[in-house]
Amino acid sequence: MTDASLPSTEVETSRRRRFFRAWPPAVLLALAWIAFIALVSIFADWLKPYDFMALDLRDRLAEPVFMGGTFRHLLGSDELGRDVLSRLIESVRMSLVIAFLSTLIAAAIGVSLGFLAAHFRGWVEQVILGAIDFMAAIPFLIIALAVLAFFGNTLTLFILLMGMHGWERIARITRGLAIAAKEQGYAAAASEIGASPFRVYGAHILPNIASTLIVAMTLNIPEVILLESGLSFLGLGVQPPLTSLGNMVGYGREYIQTAPWILLSPAVVIILTTLAVSVVGDWLRDRLDPTLR
Amino acid sequence: MSALLEVEGLVKHYHVRGGGGLFGAPVVLKAVDGVSFAIPAGRTLGLVGESGCGKSTTARLVLGTLARDGGQVMFDGEPVGSVRDTRWRAQRRAMQMVYQDPLSALDRRLTVGKQVVEPALVHGLGASAERHEKALTIMDAVGLSSRFFDRYPHELSGGQRQRVVLARALILSPKLLVCDEPISALDVSIQAQVINLLVDLQEKFSLTYLFISHDLKVVRQVAHEVAVMYLGRIVERGDPEALFHAPAHPYTQALVGAIPTPRTRGRARAALQGDPPSPINTPPGCSFHPRCPRAEARCRSEAPLLRPLADGRFAACHFPVLSTPAREAA
Amino acid sequence: MLGYVASRAFRALVTILLVLTFAFFILNATGDPAILILSADAPPEAIEAFREEWGLNAPLWKQYIGYLWNLAHGELGRSMRDGRDAWAVVSERIPVTLAITIPALIIKLVIGISAGIVAALWRDTWVDRLVMAFSVTGYTVPSFVLGLALMLVFAVQLGWLPAAGADSWRHAILPIITLGVAGAAVLARFTRSAMLEVLGQPFIRTGLAKGLVWRAVVIGHAFPNAAIPTLTIAGFMIGSLVAGAVVVESVFAWPGVGRLLVSAVGNRDLMVVQAILLLVTVTMVSANLIVDIVYGFVDPRLRTARGGQARGGT
Repeated sequence: MTDASLPSTEVETSRRRRFFRAWPPAVLLALAWIAFIALVSIFADWLKPYDFMALDLRDRLAEPVFMGGTFRHLLGSDELGRDVLSRLIESVRMSLVIAFLSTLIAAAIGVSLGFLAAHFRGWVEQVILGAIDFMAAIPFLIIALAVLAFFGNTLTLFILLMGMHGWERIARITRGLAIAAKEQGYAAAASEIGASPFRVYGAHILPNIASTLIVAMTLNIPEVILLESGLSFLGLGVQPPLTSLGNMVGYGREYIQTAPWILLSPAVVIILTTLAVSVVGDWLRDRLDPTLR
Repeated sequence: MSALLEVEGLVKHYHVRGGGGLFGAPVVLKAVDGVSFAIPAGRTLGLVGESGCGKSTTARLVLGTLARDGGQVMFDGEPVGSVRDTRWRAQRRAMQMVYQDPLSALDRRLTVGKQVVEPALVHGLGASAERHEKALTIMDAVGLSSRFFDRYPHELSGGQRQRVVLARALILSPKLLVCDEPISALDVSIQAQVINLLVDLQEKFSLTYLFISHDLKVVRQVAHEVAVMYLGRIVERGDPEALFHAPAHPYTQALVGAIPTPRTRGRARAALQGDPPSPINTPPGCSFHPRCPRAEARCRSEAPLLRPLADGRFAACHFPVLSTPAREAA
Repeated sequence: MLGYVASRAFRALVTILLVLTFAFFILNATGDPAILILSADAPPEAIEAFREEWGLNAPLWKQYIGYLWNLAHGELGRSMRDGRDAWAVVSERIPVTLAITIPALIIKLVIGISAGIVAALWRDTWVDRLVMAFSVTGYTVPSFVLGLALMLVFAVQLGWLPAAGADSWRHAILPIITLGVAGAAVLARFTRSAMLEVLGQPFIRTGLAKGLVWRAVVIGHAFPNAAIPTLTIAGFMIGSLVAGAVVVESVFAWPGVGRLLVSAVGNRDLMVVQAILLLVTVTMVSANLIVDIVYGFVDPRLRTARGGQARGGT
């Protein structure tokens, strides 16, 4: 019995080792966190114990459970008696939606411009490369501040503006990959059967370069989260009554001495989320595309 | 009989920077320099030459996938352009290409079936079910069973991949297939199979081939006529057997002599002297003269034209070898 | 070389002009400063007078030409809030910002580069892991969270340092540390990967094979080559000396350019925002220009590749 079980445990250990080499524990934890907050934002409406704007004036600045508070407000309440947990859930959803939509916008702009540059070359390419250099040289946060101030701030505009962040990197990557792909046989072959450029780029080149683009997009997400929370922290991002993670930290700053829990939980969520997405992005990059740095 | 494909005076020059770094004056690389030929429907023209002689460029010029600098290509009575307009796209239905490296010509992200169907989809032929049916028929014709339909290119062997490339070309029922070194990337054991398949398919679908190879031996197996290219020009053209047994141009002679056969093995061959000159600095006169054992003063000053010989062949040489068997010419 | 510098400088100028134009039209076309500043329910006569005073009734292109004309004469306009010269309003904040960004830059460079080199030389050891962990946290923690955390610990809990304001040098310590830590993390990561890449190159292995001492190889060959990618990041950091502290200044109520910008944006003070934008763009672009020129000296290949028109013999 004992000598029969020995090889099987060895097999077990080596299998486990192989599993953890392919899926490092840090990556698994990061994926678990991302899945968790994704689920939270999808089911936000069911998970929130209160409406995130509901006031509870009898129970203002209530302490969270872990600081001796009651279960009435798990993570405490803020200066107007709004439930921190409910606001946190709503904020997670807002920040994730902004990060995700902005990255999609950046990817759409970047991929289109990258393909245009690769397809037409010549002066079109020069103009696009110039725009990429320009974008990389200007202080985006400052421009964003200025635009927000003078456009007035709506959520749509804010998401569009955040979508301007990072497109230049995706455009540069796309252009390089598309030019390389055009020199490989499959794209030329598709074009030589009479396929239109839309088909060549959309149905052939795009799927072939998708893994690299997904990595680049993943690495863009934490940057947008940080940018969004920074602007919201300054009071120039997501506007009340809507709330986002940066927003909560920004308002919670006033109560840092008396009620630090207001900013504690959103700050932790920002850090964990950017950390998790970066870890997963780096891991994806190493796995899918070691050439991208 | 009028030819399916007529090529007249095809020219492709590249302007490149010369040596000497950035100070070099721009020079002209004559990749294709006045090539003419015609292929009757249902026949095969073999185009032979060393790498860099302009064979593949000729193929791309014929198909109109590369803009030419001069000359004219008539396909089925219509001129072939290189501007990708509606007519260009329509012409793709009738003229298709078979590539040297099947793995790079196939999209590794799509299944074999999707890629075989794609040309029909692009040209809007038939309904979805018909296209599927047609793809299976064509795959069967090139010797691929239907179980390959959902496989990906990397799961296939080299020979099978080349069959996929063929099926993809044939689904449009083209008249002309341009085969650019279709077997040189394949294992030797597979090469004969693919050659036989090409010959069978020609008969079955009454195809016309422009067959490009560096290997005279392979061309001899498939071609009805052979053209030998050297530095962007055709130096000899004619019946493969005649050309093989009695090459008229010294360059053809050298090529034939380079083929190892039981009889020539161990004996002196008509080896080429010197390096192939680059197409940038083509020598004056006959471009072959620096390597030619028979070169005389006239060859250095005057470029020979492609002229008919007594037996109906054509050669571009001032002093063609007439009816001398290759093996003795050494 | 001269041609290379000239073409770089030309591009820098074009970039500045583009940013100014972009900003001018975005800012002027999107809102009516008169209404934004005086609020919509202000008496119409007041709005009209305001417009008249600031030349807002002229067509936009005339305003634009006028703006450029004044700019060329060193006039950046007057603050719409208090009527002071916009440049005066901005320039008095510059030293305040530099007082925290320059020490922070030194921290970034010293800690970031040395940590990166150490991590690369002792790759896959605990030193490397420690540096990388520090680096990852450094750039996933937003600067406002880091700043608030430092404030909570060192000012609120321990009471060692003041929490906010700018009354003494002790007020500067927390902002400097906040800025320095985040930048050092980014720089450490870049330096490490640049060093690793260089250490893997054939010429390093050749140097070792030739019997050169490891230290000589690292100092003589690896450092200069790894310096090039690091230079880009350092240049970016120098370029953001003036405006890289917007968030941190706001956290610590440090009255620098960044806070001025946030309040000017809040006040819709067009002229001040434009002046800051000009200042930031010029420093950013000049820093890039300097980096490009230094590149040209460090790596002669780039002169021809990037300058385009450069001659072979320079």
